[in-house]
Amino acid sequence: MSLSISGDFNEAEDLWLLKLSGEIDISNAHHLKKQLETAYEQTRANIAIDLADLNYIDSTGLGVIIGAYGVMRGAGHRIILRRPKENVKKLLRITSLDKVLCKE
Amino acid sequence: MADTLKLMVPGKPEYVRTVRLAVSSLANKIGFDIEAIEDIKVAVSEACSNIVCHSDIDSDRLYQVACNICDDRIEILIEDEGVGFDMDMYEEPSPDQIKEGGLGVFIIRALMDEVNVRSEVGSGTRIKMVKYVTAE
Repeated sequence: MSLSISGDFNEAEDLWLLKLSGEIDISNAHHLKKQLETAYEQTRANIAIDLADLNYIDSTGLGVIIGAYGVMRGAGHRIILRRPKENVKKLLRITSLDKVLCKE
Repeated sequence: MADTLKLMVPGKPEYVRTVRLAVSSLANKIGFDIEAIEDIKVAVSEACSNIVCHSDIDSDRLYQVACNICDDRIEILIEDEGVGFDMDMYEEPSPDQIKEGGLGVFIIRALMDEVNVRSEVGSGTRIKMVKYVTAE
């Protein structure tokens, strides 16, 4: 299953809304990196990522999100991960990323 | 005697998914539940991704994934002949200091019941991981 990413900027909330579906691994994590960079360059704002349809992610995908989070944090912005499936939630818990990235 | 399945895998990103799907199919055959199959999928994928990213093997060279299929467990041995790494330099990620890299081995150790990593600079890396079927 491939990765699909859609994104919209919500002006009222000053927030990017990205929706991921499919699987993220080493073969396609660069697409997510590009999408995060492009969105943030276009409008510097917080980014909420909806994971409800994301079936699989590994450390390559998490690394991309951590990298973007590091860049954005310097400018006072955040990434917020929403609605992860149980398997994704487990990885976020193991890596303690839930404490940083899953808070609204 | 356990059956063994061996895969020789090109060091290219696009084959990591193929390996994890093959191994998850074996795990399903052994009788692991869905959560354990997910754990095995991620752990195998992490080990393969480490090879593709860090072993510096050419993309036309192969690494080996060997699975021993036992009644009560799966044993997975993943070996490459890449550059290896100095295990003394490995730092486990800290929850207080989130970093982009170094999560792979940490995740494998968290998801599998037994993990043994052997690596030597210039001689490649060998990761053996075991997961046991737990009684319902």
